[in-house]
Amino acid sequence: MSKGVEALVEMVGKLGGAVEDVRKSEIYIRVPREAVRAVAKLLYDSGAYLKTCAGVDERGTSGFYSIYYIFGLDSHGVDAVLKVLVPEHDPLIPSILPEVPAADWCELEIRDLLGIELSGRLTKRLVLPEDWPDGVYPLRKEFRYDEKPPRVVREELPEEVGIPVGPYHPALHEPEYFELYVEGEKVVDVVYRGFHVHRGIEKLAESPRFTYKQIPFLAERICGICGFVHSTCYVMAVEKAAGIGVPERAEFIRSIVLEVERLHSHLLWLGVAAHLLGYDAGFMHTWRIRERVMVLAEYLTGSRKTYGINVVGGVRKDLNVDKIDKTMKTVAQVREEFKKLADAALSVPQIKARAVGTGVLTKSEARALSVVGPVARASGLYRDIRKDYPYLAYRKVSFRVPLYTEGDNLARLLVRVEEVFESIEIIKQLIDMLPGGGIVSEEYEIPPGRRAVAAVEAPRGEDVHFVITGLGRPYRWRVRAPTYQNIPALRAMLRGTSLADAPLTIASIDPCFSCTDRVLVVDVRSSRRSFIKLVRGG
Amino acid sequence: MSIARILEIAFRTGRVTRKYPHEPPLLTPEFRGAVRVDPSKCWGCGACVKICPPNALSLRSDSGREVVLEYFVGRCIFCGMCAEVCPARAIEVTKEFELSSTSLESLKYGVAHRLVRCSSCGSLVWTEAELRAVIRSSPVAEEYVVLCPRCRKTRFARAASIRVGAGSE
Repeated sequence: MSKGVEALVEMVGKLGGAVEDVRKSEIYIRVPREAVRAVAKLLYDSGAYLKTCAGVDERGTSGFYSIYYIFGLDSHGVDAVLKVLVPEHDPLIPSILPEVPAADWCELEIRDLLGIELSGRLTKRLVLPEDWPDGVYPLRKEFRYDEKPPRVVREELPEEVGIPVGPYHPALHEPEYFELYVEGEKVVDVVYRGFHVHRGIEKLAESPRFTYKQIPFLAERICGICGFVHSTCYVMAVEKAAGIGVPERAEFIRSIVLEVERLHSHLLWLGVAAHLLGYDAGFMHTWRIRERVMVLAEYLTGSRKTYGINVVGGVRKDLNVDKIDKTMKTVAQVREEFKKLADAALSVPQIKARAVGTGVLTKSEARALSVVGPVARASGLYRDIRKDYPYLAYRKVSFRVPLYTEGDNLARLLVRVEEVFESIEIIKQLIDMLPGGGIVSEEYEIPPGRRAVAAVEAPRGEDVHFVITGLGRPYRWRVRAPTYQNIPALRAMLRGTSLADAPLTIASIDPCFSCTDRVLVVDVRSSRRSFIKLVRGG
Repeated sequence: MSIARILEIAFRTGRVTRKYPHEPPLLTPEFRGAVRVDPSKCWGCGACVKICPPNALSLRSDSGREVVLEYFVGRCIFCGMCAEVCPARAIEVTKEFELSSTSLESLKYGVAHRLVRCSSCGSLVWTEAELRAVIRSSPVAEEYVVLCPRCRKTRFARAASIRVGAGSE
């Protein structure tokens, strides 16, 4: 524990916090229920980010519900995990939202899924669908994973939605729904409704249907773009909790594949951004270059996406001379081709004109909402898990973290363009230093009751997995994807921009959509509603 | 002038689109496709069923006289974990991926195994193929190998007690 952390822990102690466990990169602190808001304020004011919070039904072991708040002390590279016990007969916690604006969604999720009420804030249903019955809480242990409670028909629609008929597109893999309130051409407010595809995988992973060995494949399917991030984050959390040593070569291979994934993800996004700006030549050529990365990914792992090479203890596919050769050739080609294309695309005056000064997220707003990834780095926050909490092989490579302070769409675009080149440099360094040895350790035991937080820098930002081990499978597995943290920032970005810039702004956080999304436009003066397509040609 | 720059890139690159299916698809030698179970090698032990993340492999027993290892390719995620754990090396990961079909049944493959009864109590124990594999690979006395685990324990205890002279049970 560094001096700064020690001082902070001492102050938390004065507020009633008791240190439970000190690990290399985590400190678990038990905090009385009444003191949680004060402790959260102390940590947040001292520069900690909120990574997420998670509710766990631990009545079977400790007799209480537990709420874990994971604060990242980025400057120290340590996570402070607050644990609050909530008695069964009085399921209530004081909300930390007034002190920590980033806690909005995860608190509501605890209320929805575990049935812990929140005091001191407005509440609404966030994750569960409208027709889910009241008083049925899926994350409580007595709720079976395959239970289907009867649907409830509600007469009144929730107040924040005017006309929810329509534009949910059943075929999209991430349907989103934005209500933009406009005055003429100017956006004055935004309401987001999501979680249409909440699949309950956290519950599924606790069920007898799954085991530790199978969950990496489940985790990989959380996201169609950055799936490898999720499987890596899951296996890292389990390995950390159980103290499993992973061969160094496996760590390098994971890092290389993570960077290959970042390349494909950023190139995909840059193509979509060009398409949104009406620059389809840029879109086509970015995706042509990206195809090289996809073929490389298949050659390294066996699959273009959902690579399926992560297992607890290591990886399944080794690198050989041919693969190393192909990787070096591909990244050199991508670098050369992308450099030319990026120069050509950024010299198009319309691209700059559309991206400069639109969708601005100020540094203070970014800080308050604990945004992550390129969104944070474009708003002047120096945040990158690869630097702040070096994991796998990242402590052995040198690279630059692109930083912009403008916070507009152009800044977010440029951060991603530069990260493409940084990723290529990282891959080259990793290949140069690739150590020998085995790629998987199969001799391990996973004792129950251990906890760990793991974080990986996904292309979209920090991905956090929190695991409490159980018998044969996790007792609780909490996943917080980067978009979860970034969508609330859209409200700040969209307010005051013109309607024409809304599609690019929404896309600028890279919110996992690849197909046609729609927005409902409400003119506040005439109350006229109409739908516009977010992406043309879908 | 930016148009000239993008045109230069376009002309230099030429056509990149493959006219699939008239041209072969872009597959690398590492590509993982659907799996194939070799019925002559499979024991019906169920190790693949246990590891399969999406439940594409299942063991079902309709008649009680045989079990069928069923592979439903519609659920398969092409991870190849089954091939890794198969003790008989009966599962092969192919490069097959053009699997669309108009009938659901054509996406299911089954390997049927006859079950063997315990020679003492008559309960169904394991598959014939697994029994043969065990006999081949380990020096087990044949009168034991055809017993169910419970009868085996009883018989062993009886034999042991006779040897040490501790009296009968």
